[in-house]
Amino acid sequence: MRDLIFVAYIVLIMLLALKRPFLFTLVYAYVDIVSPQRLSYFLLNSVPLSLILFALAFLGFVLGDDKKNVRISPRWLLLILLLGYCGYTTTVAVEPVAALDKWNWVWKALVFASFLPLTLHTRLRIEATVLTLVLCVSTLIVTGGIKTAAGGGGYGSLVILVDDNSGLFEGSIISCVAITIIPLILWLAKHGTIFKPEWKVRVYAACLIFACLLIPVGTQARTGIVCIAVLGILLLRYVRHRMLYLGAVALVGLAAVPFLPSSFTNRADTIKNYKADESASTRLAVWAWTWEYVKEHPLGGGFDVYRQNRIRYDMEQRANPDAPLPADLPAVREVVDEGRAFHSSYFEMLGEQGFPGLLMWLIIHFGGVWRMEVISRLYRKRNRPDEAWVAPLATALQNSQIVYLVGSLFVGIAFQTFFYMLIALQIGFDTYLARRRKEAAWLPLTGRSKLAQG
Amino acid sequence: MIDNFSILLSHVLLAIALWRLMNRPDLDHEDPPVQDEKPTGFGQRNRPVSATRKAVPDA
Repeated sequence: MRDLIFVAYIVLIMLLALKRPFLFTLVYAYVDIVSPQRLSYFLLNSVPLSLILFALAFLGFVLGDDKKNVRISPRWLLLILLLGYCGYTTTVAVEPVAALDKWNWVWKALVFASFLPLTLHTRLRIEATVLTLVLCVSTLIVTGGIKTAAGGGGYGSLVILVDDNSGLFEGSIISCVAITIIPLILWLAKHGTIFKPEWKVRVYAACLIFACLLIPVGTQARTGIVCIAVLGILLLRYVRHRMLYLGAVALVGLAAVPFLPSSFTNRADTIKNYKADESASTRLAVWAWTWEYVKEHPLGGGFDVYRQNRIRYDMEQRANPDAPLPADLPAVREVVDEGRAFHSSYFEMLGEQGFPGLLMWLIIHFGGVWRMEVISRLYRKRNRPDEAWVAPLATALQNSQIVYLVGSLFVGIAFQTFFYMLIALQIGFDTYLARRRKEAAWLPLTGRSKLAQG
Repeated sequence: MIDNFSILLSHVLLAIALWRLMNRPDLDHEDPPVQDEKPTGFGQRNRPVSATRKAVPDA
């Protein structure tokens, strides 16, 4: 039954897109994020849905869009370069089979991220993309939030739609994504034109943000807690009544602690005592291994090179450093492990793509933070009423990016499609504004008369 | 049950959004922006005061 409903739904939205081909791009983003193929049992699994949609989106762009509005930026070129470089490292990967597996989805993420900015040449398209990303992720967030509020959840046990620990359905990743979209929800609730800012939109936005905050509680992913703290600090920058905001955050935080399940507070406590935590110790050992590996192989080992690692580390026996240690127990025990994943996007890039790949990745991401800062300052200074939406969106995208960059310190999400869509959105937004600024630029009298003559 | 509710809610909202977008002419074409009243960027910094005169209304 669910299969038939999904098929009918996709056919319906594709019919809508026939009239306005840009909508195919949004439908592709929907299929990529929500993965309706995974939620259904057979029908959708049997057709290459993403491929068909991308072909339609591309065809719509080639035939229907005005190419004179297309602009490219240095970061866009870097995305293409990264795609080519990853293709090269895959051909010389030390784990050829696993590398090819990862390459098969990475190239799609990078190709779509390169394609999306070319299509974003109106304000409405930018807003529509932000809205689509938020609504698509909300499919996972709403169910996760309700289940957590109802007392479900637990580390590795909160099932969000499907019992599949990959893609956005993985606990740490969805925790990071949930916090990443909060600034975008806030922007949509204030500056949206598709769903105009009225009380219903504000109430839904508030509920959705609450659900987002519950996801790290439900999945008990510590990355999410760190992301919430980072976002809390970032929002402080532009909040009007800072002391009131700080007071409200402290009050909500203190009020929430008694309601959190003890398993969550216990797990959060392990952030402080990382020496006795196997997950943290493994990370440190894998990162050390990666560093040694790239010193010998500066171009990296290709996708999934971590499968080569054999690590050995000492772990403290006491979970609580103040607790007395039994006399017959040594203070540390040796742990031997192999094939452990990077658990950090920075080390994922370094190990897999070497120094050149890491450098490109850092420029793409930190370049985004910098560009959004430049735009935000510029448009606050311009202060034109028709551009009132620009600076807040730049700040929202910047905050999302910083949350991602902090979250990805502890999770290997360097190639997650969702975050490349955010990058693409930033690039498209940036080039769109550059074109509009040029079009709006002050002209001396001679220029104006030429323009009037046309 | 909760899963189906979540799927239904987000999918209905997405369909409404796409429907509204389909009927918006500014999805594909935008009016040109309002002209700046004075020069901005490097031009403004280097220009003498007399040159940054008030904008003349368009003909």
